[in-house]
Amino acid sequence: MRTHIGDFFELLQRYQAQTGVRIPMLQPLETPAHTPNSAPEVHGTTVIALKFKGGVLNVGDRRATAANAVMYDRADKIVPLDDYTLIAIAGAYGRAMEVVRYLRHAFKYYARSQLQPMSLDGKLQEVSRVLSANLPNALGGIGLFVPILSVYDPDQDRGRIFFFDISGARFETPEYGAAGSGAERIRGVFDYITKTKGAFSERPLEEVLREAILLLDIAADLDAATGGIDKVLPTARYATREGVFEVPEETIRAIVQSIRTGGNA
Amino acid sequence: MLTPYDFQENLQQRAQYIRNRLRAGSPVIGISYDNGIMLLSFKRRGRKVFEIYDRLMFSAIGNQADVENLRLAAIDFSHQEGFVRSPDDVTIQRVVGFALSPALKKAFGDPLTAPFVVRALFAELHDTPEHDLFYTLNYDGEFLPYERFAVIGGTANAEEQATRYLEANLSGVPTFESSVPVALTAWGIAYEAAQLEEADGVSEEAGRRRLRELLAEGQLEVGILERHTLRENRFRLVPHEQIEPFLQRL
Repeated sequence: MRTHIGDFFELLQRYQAQTGVRIPMLQPLETPAHTPNSAPEVHGTTVIALKFKGGVLNVGDRRATAANAVMYDRADKIVPLDDYTLIAIAGAYGRAMEVVRYLRHAFKYYARSQLQPMSLDGKLQEVSRVLSANLPNALGGIGLFVPILSVYDPDQDRGRIFFFDISGARFETPEYGAAGSGAERIRGVFDYITKTKGAFSERPLEEVLREAILLLDIAADLDAATGGIDKVLPTARYATREGVFEVPEETIRAIVQSIRTGGNA
Repeated sequence: MLTPYDFQENLQQRAQYIRNRLRAGSPVIGISYDNGIMLLSFKRRGRKVFEIYDRLMFSAIGNQADVENLRLAAIDFSHQEGFVRSPDDVTIQRVVGFALSPALKKAFGDPLTAPFVVRALFAELHDTPEHDLFYTLNYDGEFLPYERFAVIGGTANAEEQATRYLEANLSGVPTFESSVPVALTAWGIAYEAAQLEEADGVSEEAGRRRLRELLAEGQLEVGILERHTLRENRFRLVPHEQIEPFLQRL
């Protein structure tokens, strides 16, 4: 008799063994050795996670690039995984979206089969696991991506932000997190804001949303791969005690306009 | 004296054994309403209504271990398919008809395996109530689709009586508020009819009285899939405070 432990990875492995259907998620991507990389992968660029009073906010630009080409300007890099969890993705878009699909199923599969939600620690462990499984790809130069996991923690009644390195190591950050090519350029600005205006986690959502969009604008100025806020509006989602929500387009458009007209509300 | 193995007799005995055990089960009433779809039942202990997938839920009567096995098989299949193909390809008719029914049929017909003691009701949410679907699944693998509402109960007679009541009392597309009282009475009728041998025409009042009496021993469980929601999960169990006012008026 099989003990059901709600492990989605195990379910997929069993499915693969039984049917012979190859699941890309479970294989390293194969690149022939010594061939020049003639078809560069599509990459997502800048995502930002900021805490606010009562939750955590994620904002991302919409650009996806392949080498110097802009491949897509409607990429959505911020995805809800369940009612309390958001994942923001920077890096190889294809692999990252596959992993997002996997994680959504893994969390729900556990909750539905085991009749209790997966613990926060369990979810972080699951993210680490897929990242370490992806390590051979990342070292081979394809399929490299870094996620930021933002959760509302009902036990502690606050938002929490975790970032990861490519081997799956996990780190918790006290106030903010950012990933992608534009993130490194603006790192100092986060500190400047917290030191002059106070901790993000103590400020209301509206204020923090404006800061996030401004930060994204600066990142786009300094990084050619970041899409910015004008041509296509960025996406913003947040997690609170009530669940995961998307910030309406009108709200974002109003903030972008006020930034452009020099308003500093 | 050694009697030759009689296939038909064997099946009849098995069916009789299962039907006897199902008789005491707590019926389940499914109703599709404007903002969602519900499964309502009464439980003494433990859970009764379960989420299977994004737009799929289920409840069953029968042996607890068999119900659990059926639930997990449905969840395994749905998640496997939802990931390998798409969540849009996980449909009630694929889950019930292809993933579960053949296994039940096989266990029922095989004299060397214990048959599933189970009768299940699945509910699938669509964008409009007209497209919502219910499937019943029987211990022998037989399954049937229903629209608008569906019932499973301890006996076929109990199901018929509750169905007649639902047919007469649900018109058009109901709301959650108008569905719950009808579902409660239908539950009472189905339960009462299954307990009494040869009971024909259990009255509404008899059904409600039986449910009122039982409330001392357990509570109602109502699982819903919400048609319009901002939440990531459409499934939730309706909190007891929200059911209580309906029970006061019972």
